[in-house]
Amino acid sequence: MKASSDGLSNLEGHSEFDIVWPWTRTEGLRPGTTAVLRVKDEAPSLPFVLPPLLRACDHVLVVDNNSTDGTPEVVADTAARAGLDHKLRQASYPFQVARAGAEHLAQPERSVHSLAYFYNWCFAQVTTRYSWKWDGDMVLTTEGEASIGDLGWQVGDVQSIIRVPRHGLYLDSESHGYLDLGLRNAEEWGFPTGPDFVFTKAYEWEIRTTPEHVRSIGLPHGLCVELKYLHGDEFAHWTDPESFATSYRNKRKRREWTVFNALQRGQVLPGVHEITAPDGVHIVDHVTHDWLPRAPRPLAVGLPA
Amino acid sequence: MSDTAGVPAAEATLIDPATYPRKVLFVAGAGRSGTSTMAGLMRIMGMHVPQPEVVADETNPKGFGEPRWAVDHHDRLLKEALVQVSDSRPEAWFETGRVSTREPERITTAQWLDGHFEVSPELVVKDPRLSWFIGLWRVAAIRCGATPVFATMLRPPAEVVGSKQTYYANRLGSAHLAASWLNMLLHTERATRESVADGGRVFVRYGDLLDDWVKTTMHVAETLQLQHVLHCDSEQIRDGHRFVDPGLRRVSQSLEDLQLPPRLHDLTASTWEELNKLADPGGDTPEVHAALDQLREEYVDLYEEAAAISRSSVVAAEQRLKRAGKVGPPPEVTKAADRIPHSVRAKVPPSVRRGLRKMVGRPR
Repeated sequence: MKASSDGLSNLEGHSEFDIVWPWTRTEGLRPGTTAVLRVKDEAPSLPFVLPPLLRACDHVLVVDNNSTDGTPEVVADTAARAGLDHKLRQASYPFQVARAGAEHLAQPERSVHSLAYFYNWCFAQVTTRYSWKWDGDMVLTTEGEASIGDLGWQVGDVQSIIRVPRHGLYLDSESHGYLDLGLRNAEEWGFPTGPDFVFTKAYEWEIRTTPEHVRSIGLPHGLCVELKYLHGDEFAHWTDPESFATSYRNKRKRREWTVFNALQRGQVLPGVHEITAPDGVHIVDHVTHDWLPRAPRPLAVGLPA
Repeated sequence: MSDTAGVPAAEATLIDPATYPRKVLFVAGAGRSGTSTMAGLMRIMGMHVPQPEVVADETNPKGFGEPRWAVDHHDRLLKEALVQVSDSRPEAWFETGRVSTREPERITTAQWLDGHFEVSPELVVKDPRLSWFIGLWRVAAIRCGATPVFATMLRPPAEVVGSKQTYYANRLGSAHLAASWLNMLLHTERATRESVADGGRVFVRYGDLLDDWVKTTMHVAETLQLQHVLHCDSEQIRDGHRFVDPGLRRVSQSLEDLQLPPRLHDLTASTWEELNKLADPGGDTPEVHAALDQLREEYVDLYEEAAAISRSSVVAAEQRLKRAGKVGPPPEVTKAADRIPHSVRAKVPPSVRRGLRKMVGRPR
């Protein structure tokens, strides 16, 4: 897919969900950053996810995709409690989106059910010159919030991608969890808004186009955790586990599957840290405000050779 | 209950640094804006300037209040980022920000800071290069379990430029210095806006500090909760009076004297007007931030226009260096379109972009 016109129309003819590229609008793009979250049933995580993101970014756009757990209400309430609802915008995307893996592969790129089309529609709502692709379960640490906040204004018009490592935090209860530092993995989350950076189709999911030789910088480890619920269905957005069983591309998902199932069996794998929060402190707050920011550096990430 | 010196225990904790939380005051602002005076006063009132310091010289006979390590650290990082101390390029902030994301630099900076917290819980770090690395220092403070606070010194741009202008003999030298001042102050203001771990910020007019340093530093101490200053003793105050010399404000000229290009003149005047509001009690407001955001954007636009207009000078300089054998092969990314700022490229209609690509034989 290339941004070869003013926008895209979808195969199903839902013209109200046609895509108009924001850089083609007469008002142009504004300085600043927008975090874009595509969410489905993320109500438990968003009270942890949104406050640091709202503080660090100029705008946060939450696009709900048919949640049944009151996610939009939780989003609004969380932003209001943080006193930052002026930075929040919510939107709704009503179509069923293909799950990662085989379902995604079968969808045409221009279908409203395609991950690529869905992401392009979401990011077409952005009005700033830089954007962060964010998930509804990713929580910034204190250092992560400061780093994302600084880069947000520093990047200006510079055409650079920013990669951010994340670490799975498996929640057992409000005070107890497991942090997986056994995998070195950083994904591209920060992108300029513009015709060179749109979403297209890849094998298991969407991928963002980039010009050749684009700059890319990476943030250090220990700035973001991804919440996983040991008592929940963490892999519902995948067609089936076979979808990530074979390819090198899916090493993160395989690691999550391995760690999750080991913890279910009561086994703590190498690289996984069992953490208990002090009395009265939620485990997510403890890990993101204290444990990770104060952990000895360089942070020991990855498994011993 | 009282201690052996007859001081009630509750009061004794006020003057016991062991009870003070870790805090580091970063003194920012353009060079020649009174940063040395501010750092020097904080040191006299009991805050710790990490040693050794840069040695005083004839340009600053009362000392700089600058940790030698911080100055060398910043010099090295600026060189790595290819940024000058007085750099007027807006994109220079990303270059120093990029260097600041490197884990080895974060580790080094935090370790240095942590070592000096062993000496005192309240530190003051000052260097005219500091503004370029506020994010790095903020992270270092977080890793040390310390609260970063910021004091930015403000001095009329005409005086700052005048103070530096001896090195430049012509009018456009003033323009470059004024542009550097704008770039530095507009982005320092943005960099010191409230971040999650911060303990506050103040803006201090150099003139106010010289006119009444007692009132001014008490405002700084109360706003930022600097315990050493809040509880300093009489002898330290006497030392402060011995230290501050109102005659330090040697340069006095107006903005008109600089004969800046009209748009740069207007931007400089407007920026100074807004920054001044930040130094007023209760003046650090969202309305002023919005006005400064607008001015920063205008400055970026002005700089991009000037850079586009003067592109031939850059090409000529590159050719001279190439002939002299001082540059390597050109970087891989040298497509003409890549030299045009993204904001400008994005305004070109897609159909026109396609036509241009076709003309130059590029598929995309």
